Amino acid sequence: MSNHSPHHAPTVAERLWQELAATAPQHDRDADLAIEAYGLVKHFGDIHAVNGIDLRVRPGQIFGFLGQNGSGKTTTVRMLTTLLRPTEGSARVAGFDVLSQDRQVRRAIGVALQEAGLDILQTGRELLRLQSRLYNVPRGEIEDRVAHLLEVVDLSEDADRRIGDYSGGMQRRLDLASALVHSPSIIFLDEPTTGLDPVSRQNLWDYIQRLNREDGVTFFLTTQYLEEADQLCDEIAILDAGEIVQQGTPDGLKATVSADVIYVQVEGNERAQQRAVGVLLPLPNVEDAQWDFNEGIAVYSKSGHDTLPRVVRTLDEANLPFSNLRLARATLDDVFFKATGHRIEPDGQAGQAAQSTQGGSA
Amino acid sequence: MTTLEVPPAPEDSSSRAAGPLQVLIDARHLAVRAIRESTRQPGVEITNVFIPLFFLAVSTGAIANFSERGFGVENYLAFQLPVAVLQAVAGSSAASGIAIVLDMERGYFDKLLLTPASRWSLIIGRVWADAVRAIFFATIMLVAALIAGSGMATGVPGAILILIIAGLFGGAYSGIGIFIAMRTGNAQAAQAGFLLFFPLLFMAPAFAPLAVFDDWLRIIATINPVTYIMEGMRGLVMEGYAWPVTEGGQIVFGPDGLPMTKDPPALHWAFVSLAGFSAFTLTIAALALRSRTRAD
Repeated sequence: MSNHSPHHAPTVAERLWQELAATAPQHDRDADLAIEAYGLVKHFGDIHAVNGIDLRVRPGQIFGFLGQNGSGKTTTVRMLTTLLRPTEGSARVAGFDVLSQDRQVRRAIGVALQEAGLDILQTGRELLRLQSRLYNVPRGEIEDRVAHLLEVVDLSEDADRRIGDYSGGMQRRLDLASALVHSPSIIFLDEPTTGLDPVSRQNLWDYIQRLNREDGVTFFLTTQYLEEADQLCDEIAILDAGEIVQQGTPDGLKATVSADVIYVQVEGNERAQQRAVGVLLPLPNVEDAQWDFNEGIAVYSKSGHDTLPRVVRTLDEANLPFSNLRLARATLDDVFFKATGHRIEPDGQAGQAAQSTQGGSA
Repeated sequence: MTTLEVPPAPEDSSSRAAGPLQVLIDARHLAVRAIRESTRQPGVEITNVFIPLFFLAVSTGAIANFSERGFGVENYLAFQLPVAVLQAVAGSSAASGIAIVLDMERGYFDKLLLTPASRWSLIIGRVWADAVRAIFFATIMLVAALIAGSGMATGVPGAILILIIAGLFGGAYSGIGIFIAMRTGNAQAAQAGFLLFFPLLFMAPAFAPLAVFDDWLRIIATINPVTYIMEGMRGLVMEGYAWPVTEGGQIVFGPDGLPMTKDPPALHWAFVSLAGFSAFTLTIAALALRSRTRAD
């Protein structure tokens, strides 16, 4: 993905895509994609927040955007939900163009943004009522629907208290309920569980999964939690500096990194770290080695048990004192680190190795 | 917790009334919410009552005894009543800019933008709520002044006219708060919107008639729309109805180029000024909303 230049002529891309879709076999046709984006770009002055993102999310998917703060997740969500105009590119949500059919898009989607966007002076019930009215839920159905949604998110007992008195978890749940008043087929959640305690987080995951399973609701969520992406999402796109650097199912992504990772803290300055990576990379079965300030050196190996003693021997021979040696199964964390992490600059081998892994899997 | 089945969404083509009517329906829902919020922060609203009443009391206490000798105003409380009304209204409307900024900071403004409701209904809802609140605060000022002995030359119809003017001024003034909120998204800036009220109210014949002003101040007051709104109300309190002098169906213009009126200040100028003032504030508010929501 990062190898491609952003589509600067989205209409051409779109036309091409339609052409392809029309000629593809029936089961491959994506004419009914829930979310599709072509070369989405967003610049704020000199800041390039999003640098050419292409997306295809099928109905019924839980699609996750994984990235650190500032990677462009929120900006992308704001473009897809009609709150921001893209600098370049185009997107369709529920089949409607986000620019020319923004009203239709808003009717089709439910959105819960990063900070629960609530009004602390209203009660939970009042907020859902107002929300229902603005979505034109028929008058006679409003009370029932509001009561039902309050029950769904476990807030019936607190419905008539002011939102300002709610805990963070309650506010998130109410926010989610407010995104559901009009039964949207696609729901956008921007960092839905950031700042939640583990129990509330698990509860929210349960709601999302049930809505997805029982009502076929499509979810597009952003997160900075690997665990969240891993547990919840059918498909994950790793976002870094406004570009998708890796995309796939959680298992598929994990398969792109080696089976095992050996973590080791080598003492000394950055030069020592670079030297260590330099001596570890040529070892048999080692596919990659990268240094990170916090984690130390991560050595990716096809067979950790064979590599571990070699790592010890090699570092000893190279006169590199080390500590905290441990062996772990590769996780999404490693996928992310390999896709976005700080790798050793500019010293040849390691840099190239990291480069090639990244290039090969993108 | 129960099952998650949610009733099907309404068909979108048929369920929303077309165009302007829907904007007004949505605006009304939003206005109701804004008014409800005021009632839930009595502490905030009490200042909108206290400050103008305080000014009314102290300025009358200080000046009433020589106002007749000084500049020929016999009932200074009556003279001050429109100032109190406008002050209360400006204070309450300026607060709504701050409310919008708080909505933005809490993310609720985005939530409203994400609904299919028209952007215009967001502005109209606020203006609507501010007009209603303006009438509420104006009523308090009016009742307090009447009890204290201001009198009302035009009786109940005049009082109703004053409330209507107050409501229109409140709606117009809220455009300033909306403009600042949309442009800056900053609570302090929105707070400063209240400061505009000082030049607007006090570079007008608030404490004394225009006739005794220094030239520089009189010139500024002459181009200040609030002058005409204030004088229009003042005429209703102190003198009676005043309409332009006409001759054979034609309005007669005086030497200063303005339509001549009988003695009391001309009520029609109050409405003309209100129209101009609100056209200006609501236009900048609408433009600011558009540039924010289009946005970048």
